[in-house]
Amino acid sequence: MDSSNKRFEVNPIERAHTTAEPAAASAEASKLTGLLTHEDLDRAQDRLEVARARQSGAQAPRFASLRLLWLLVGPGLLVFLAENDAPSMLSYAASGARFGIGFFIPFVVLTFVLGFIVQEMTVRLGAVTHRGHAELIFDRFGRFWGFFALADLAFGNFLTLVTEFIGVRAGLSYFGITPVVAVGSSLLIVVAAIGTGRYWTWERITLGLAIFNGLFVPVALLAHPPWRDVGHALLFWTPLPHGNPYDILVLILAVIGATVTPWMLFFQQSAVVDKGMQPRDIPSGRVDTLLGTVLAAIFAIAVILATEPLFKHGISAENYQAARFAQSLGPWIGHAGAALFALGIFEAGLVAAITISTSSAYAFGEALHTGHSLNRPLREAWPFYSVLVGSACVAAGLVLIPHAPLEFIILTVNVIAVLAMPPALVFLLMLVNDREIMGEYANRKWANLAGVSVTVLLVIAGLGFGVATVFPQLLGQ
Amino acid sequence: MESKSSSPGPRNPHPDAGENPSITATPGGEALALTVLEADQLVAAKRRTRFGRRLITGKEKALLWGLRIYVVAMLIIVLFSVLEALHRAN
Repeated sequence: MDSSNKRFEVNPIERAHTTAEPAAASAEASKLTGLLTHEDLDRAQDRLEVARARQSGAQAPRFASLRLLWLLVGPGLLVFLAENDAPSMLSYAASGARFGIGFFIPFVVLTFVLGFIVQEMTVRLGAVTHRGHAELIFDRFGRFWGFFALADLAFGNFLTLVTEFIGVRAGLSYFGITPVVAVGSSLLIVVAAIGTGRYWTWERITLGLAIFNGLFVPVALLAHPPWRDVGHALLFWTPLPHGNPYDILVLILAVIGATVTPWMLFFQQSAVVDKGMQPRDIPSGRVDTLLGTVLAAIFAIAVILATEPLFKHGISAENYQAARFAQSLGPWIGHAGAALFALGIFEAGLVAAITISTSSAYAFGEALHTGHSLNRPLREAWPFYSVLVGSACVAAGLVLIPHAPLEFIILTVNVIAVLAMPPALVFLLMLVNDREIMGEYANRKWANLAGVSVTVLLVIAGLGFGVATVFPQLLGQ
Repeated sequence: MESKSSSPGPRNPHPDAGENPSITATPGGEALALTVLEADQLVAAKRRTRFGRRLITGKEKALLWGLRIYVVAMLIIVLFSVLEALHRAN
C-alpha cells in the first residue's frame, strides 16, 4: 500500500462526487500537492499531451484533430480487435465452412452493432465517473451483487483465456512450433507488455499486435469470394442456414458470444479510466469504439469469406481447430494464405490473452480497492499484476496438460459468454441511467431502448438454447 | 449531488510546461499535473471517496434475482449438453 493511501486511511470514507473541475481548482488543491502518486503523474503526462493537441488546434486544426484522435484512440479499438479472439474467429470460420455466404454475414454485422451500442455506454461511464465497472457495481449495488458480477466475469474470463492459449498453440502448430514454446513465448509477451509500468506503452504495444487481426483480409482475398453473393447476403440475409437446427442454434449463440461479452464491458471502462479520459473526450471515445467495431466486423467477415471454399467444395469442417482449418484451406488459398490464417489465429489468441487477463486484474483490483492501474509500478500494485500474470499462467498451463478437457472448454466458452451477458447488461443499464453519478451523461431514451433490446435479444437466444437442449424433440431431433 | 456540467473550456497547461517536457522533469510538475487532471481523477481522491450505495427497488431486485436464476439454470443446461456431446463424440 502506498504512502498516500496510509495518510488517507485515518479519515473516514467520504461520499464521491463527479466533478469536471481541474484538481488545481479544487478546495483541497493545496493538500494534494505532495500526495500525487506515480499513477497520477503518468496519467497527467498523457493528459498534458491531449491538452497540447487541443491547444495546437488553433494553428493547424486538421493535424491537431488527427493527433488528438491518435492520442485518444485505444480502449475501443483494443476491445473489439481483442474480441475477435481465437474462439470467435473459429466460430466465424465454422459458419463460413458449414453454411457459406448467406445469413451469417449480415448477422455478424448485426452483432457488432449490438456490441457498439453497449460499449459506447462504458466509455461514458468511465470518462464521467473515473471508476471501473467492477468498482461502480460494488459501490452502488453492494458486495452481494458485486461478487455475483465478479464471479460471472472471473469464470467466463478464465475459460476464455484457456481458449486463447489453445488458439496460440493451434496457430503456431501449423509452423511446427511445439506447444511449450508457443505458449511460453506468448506468456513472455504478456509479461513484457506490462513490464513498462505505463498504460500508454502497454496500450500501444497491444494495439500494434492487434492490428495484425487484419491478416484475415488478404486470406479472404486469396479465396476469391463471390462479391455479388456477399452483397446479396448483406441485403437479403439469405440463403438461410440448413441442417441440424440445434447445431445452427449453437452456432448463432457462439457468433453472438463472439462479439458481445461481459469482459468487454469491464475492460473498456477500466481502460478508459486508466487512460485518464474525461467527459470532453467522450466524442473521441465514440470514434475509437466505432473504429474498433468497423475494423473488427470487416476482419470477422473476412474469416467467413476465407473459409467459404470449404463449404463450396463440400469439405466437412465439423470439430475443426485452427491448424486443421489452415491445412484444409491450403488447396484453395495457397500455402501463403494458409500460413496467414494460422498466424491470424495465433495473433487473435495472443492479443485476447493480454486484454482478458488485464480485464480480470482490473476487476479484482477495483472490487478489493487495491491499486489497479497499468501506470502503477509493481511494488505498489503487486496484487493487480499477480492476478494479471497468474491468470494467464494458469490458463496457459492448463493448455499444456495432456488430456485436459480442452474440447469441453472450446464448446462452452462463447455460449457461456452469451448466457452471462444479460445480468451484466442490466448492471450496465442501471449504472448508465444513474443520474446521481452520470448527471447529464446518463442514457437517453433511444440508448435505453437499444440497450434493453440487446438484453431481451440475448435472453431470448439463451432461452431458445435452453429449451432446445432440454426438449430436443421440439427441433425434430 | 453535484453533477458534471457541460464540458469545461480548454485548460491551459501550467506555464512551466514549456514545449515538450515530461511532468516529472518539469519544475512544479505536480502543480502542472493538477491542472490537467480532474479533482476526482486523483488516486488520493479516489481512495478517500466512494460512490455510496443506491437504493435498489423491489422491481430491480426481482429482475436481478430472476437473471441470477436464469444464469444458474442455463449453466446447468450447458453442462448437460456438453457432457452429452462429449459422450456422443467418444
